[in-house]
Amino acid sequence: MIAPMSRGILAGYNVHTAADRSVMLKSVGVDSIEELLHPIDKSIRLQRPLDLPPPLTEWALSHKMTALARRNLTTKTHRSWLGGGVYEHYIPETVHAIASRGEFLTAYTPYQPEMNQGILRILYDFQKLMGKVLGQPAVNCSVYDGSTALAEAAWMACRASGRDKLLVTENLWPQYRQVLATYLKGRNVEIVDLPSNPDSGQVDSETASALLKKQPFAGLIVQTPNRYGVIERLPEIHQLAHEASAVSIVACNPMLTGCFPSPGEEGFDIVCCEAQPLGLKLNAGGPYLGVIATRMELEQHLPGRIVGICQDLKGEPAFALVKENREQHVARHEATSHICSNQTLLALKVTVHLSTLGEHGFRRIAGLNVVKAHYLESQLSALPGVRRPQTGPFFNEFMLEVPCEVPALLDRLLAEQAFGGIDCSGWEPGGSRRLLIAVTELKSKTELDDYVTHFRQALQSLN
Amino acid sequence: MLIPGIFDISRPNVSGNGVFDPDFDPESHTEWIDAKARRKHSIGLPELSEHEVVRHFTNLSHQAYGVDNGPYPLGSCTMKYNPKRNDAMAQLDGFADVHPHQPAATMQGVWDAFLELQGYIEELTGMDAVTLQPAAGAHGEFAGLLMIRKYFEKKGEKRDIVLIPDSAHGTNPASAAMVGCQCKIVPTTPQGLMDIEEMDRLLDERVATLMLTNPSTLGLFEKNIEQIAVKIHRNGSLLYYDGANLNALMGLVRPGDMGFDVIHINTHKTLATPHGSGGPGAGPVGVKEHLIPYLPVPNVRMRDGRAAPDYDLPDSIGRIKTYFGHTEVLLRALCYLLTQGPEGLKQASENAVLNANYLQAKLADLLPPIFDQPCMHECLISGGDLKISAFDFVKRLIDFKVHPPTLVGAGCVHFAKEYDAAMLIEPTETETLTTLDYMIEQFRRVASEAEIAPFTIETAPHSTDTAKIVKDEAAWVSVLEPERH
Repeated sequence: MIAPMSRGILAGYNVHTAADRSVMLKSVGVDSIEELLHPIDKSIRLQRPLDLPPPLTEWALSHKMTALARRNLTTKTHRSWLGGGVYEHYIPETVHAIASRGEFLTAYTPYQPEMNQGILRILYDFQKLMGKVLGQPAVNCSVYDGSTALAEAAWMACRASGRDKLLVTENLWPQYRQVLATYLKGRNVEIVDLPSNPDSGQVDSETASALLKKQPFAGLIVQTPNRYGVIERLPEIHQLAHEASAVSIVACNPMLTGCFPSPGEEGFDIVCCEAQPLGLKLNAGGPYLGVIATRMELEQHLPGRIVGICQDLKGEPAFALVKENREQHVARHEATSHICSNQTLLALKVTVHLSTLGEHGFRRIAGLNVVKAHYLESQLSALPGVRRPQTGPFFNEFMLEVPCEVPALLDRLLAEQAFGGIDCSGWEPGGSRRLLIAVTELKSKTELDDYVTHFRQALQSLN
Repeated sequence: MLIPGIFDISRPNVSGNGVFDPDFDPESHTEWIDAKARRKHSIGLPELSEHEVVRHFTNLSHQAYGVDNGPYPLGSCTMKYNPKRNDAMAQLDGFADVHPHQPAATMQGVWDAFLELQGYIEELTGMDAVTLQPAAGAHGEFAGLLMIRKYFEKKGEKRDIVLIPDSAHGTNPASAAMVGCQCKIVPTTPQGLMDIEEMDRLLDERVATLMLTNPSTLGLFEKNIEQIAVKIHRNGSLLYYDGANLNALMGLVRPGDMGFDVIHINTHKTLATPHGSGGPGAGPVGVKEHLIPYLPVPNVRMRDGRAAPDYDLPDSIGRIKTYFGHTEVLLRALCYLLTQGPEGLKQASENAVLNANYLQAKLADLLPPIFDQPCMHECLISGGDLKISAFDFVKRLIDFKVHPPTLVGAGCVHFAKEYDAAMLIEPTETETLTTLDYMIEQFRRVASEAEIAPFTIETAPHSTDTAKIVKDEAAWVSVLEPERH
């Protein structure tokens, strides 16, 4: 006979039968679970069932969640030209296959290295991979996302230098600037804005130089590509920071390294990134993956986990979490950061992704981004009244100024099953006529040409 | 010997299969990039065929241990079963392929899911509003403390002291420091509860909040919670709930009803989202009415009859990360609540408490409980009578396929010194009686072994390829640095 639902035996994920419960209660020496709850005063106990819906079966759940999912348009139902810091890229199926293994998916942080050499090896290789992609050797195992990576990097510079001012380019992606402000508020760090050159869209070296001479800064913060999609002149900026003995910090798109020297190779002291382009799905905004790479001299200021090599009782080398004296569970209020759970499974995904692509695959994808984005840009800026307002170089995303209101243009494109780009109004002077367009390796020539046609038709109909 | 890594098995010039385009040549990117600015040398990424990649990582998974493999009684970490259906639902294309810069109206399913989950968490915890934005529990603490600071700023009060019991997670003081607060530590009484007299002594007009974990990380319910709440509020301070141990209380008692003003929960603990070897998690934060204006932006709420992100929060603490929250993780949490239902949640907490007490009772003669009373969802037992250290004891458990419980400095919990030989065991509700009996048998076996063969224990584990790693900095020969490219 099946026990009735009202007795709760079959509810949810219960594993005990009534008989199991009796055996256990007897061993504990009580008659009911209620007796074990006696420290909770009756006056605060919930005297009614939680007001939540009754449990769903797996098939009813599937029905409900599928219906919710159908209320979203996606980059699969529509052609997407959206970027803004996260991009739709090729992700080999190896990533999902490996990341779904329960040994990795359902494990805790590898505090027991003896039984977790597998994940520790992966994280060690992740650090090594990101060290090559970002160009500095000391890498942590992840922070929450690109914006918190930058905020943590900013604090690293303050800790290391003992200074409390940061010079920050105003052309950061707006969300990065907002997160930086939130993170530094309690640290009593002052942010000084560094205007960029409106023509090139890049950091203005003369202004930067003048500001850096005025007062001592802990660090100089830039982003590449910045919020105009423009690639910054990193060697020059690093040199300026270096001369003012400020720590040079950059938030970058890691895919740039496929075509350009890495920011670390260009001299930058702290290189952080949003690693979403390296094998992570868009997921409506997260989870993503922040990574920080730095010089060995600054390693002690890194937030989060670091995997290193130590020795076991037999004298053999083995992997373990190391340098924990930086972390919250050891240093508590003096820790470099509060971060505990980070984004390990995503670091694993990035490791599998880069391993599958390899040197040539990674560089070819980066190359295709450049080629396709520049092809599209050249086609679009040839349209009447359309121009790219910045002269600085770009990678896979560029800004355009159009002879109509951007929201109206995007509405027309949406009707053609396309997310046409990001409307820059709200964070860009003259923004209502400016939009950002991103192109990745996934777009075919036909799709690029179709977009140009739809873009032209939309402009014609709006003028 | 170290297990070989991808760099060790790399073979030059085998990568890049499958990356090509019929119309564009990736090499021609040089036409667009200034010669001076181009990459000139190889990056140094490894190269493998796809089959090698899959085999390599699959073999590495054989040297990893998840809750799918076996019991994981890691105290205060709540390593319960992570339902597979939730993984599948959270990864539906309709969610996974949504770009966060899409027009808000084209992602209504995301807002609907968020609003629904927020409502369920409000009901589960007894709070008035919830933000799903925080990336993990510690990030939730950070957001919660920033809201508390802002609340006092708005009232024109300078309050910058955070009271924290000595048994609290390390993230509590670390988050307090990040928001510019000073920590004062409240000791624990011999009965294992927070010392209220000491708290009283520390209360003054500069105290912003008390951060309390309830049940505490000693496995006990702070039964004076109502009295604590009255004292804290009478002082003009706010009460913060660290939801690390909420798994003991679902459907039984709610933090909101205990008097907490701000709470965070850890979805990987209470709501069964997989821990992923160390994240991603999610740390939703709940607040009472008076703190709603300070929630981070954006907050999803009903606007013009439909769920939508609201950016118009003039008193908000601001943005704490990019976009809206860890959607993929949060969807799993939603699925968990939907498949448990109210009875299932209550039963989960009841069974969690029952399982911990069963373990405590069955081990009491060999490993006595530190506090001689029933525990909540985890038990703190003493290895003080053993001839070996608790550290050695738990490493031996690995040989019998039981993940070690939490110890002093083991990473999750920071105990006061007097609990040096204590082990915090949280079996969780999804372990069966058979598994619990198996675990008890292994704990007892190691305890007996300590009498007759302590050396076997001190050198354990013996079944793993890697022998014991002693986490004593002096014993470390080297920490090899990732080599420079």
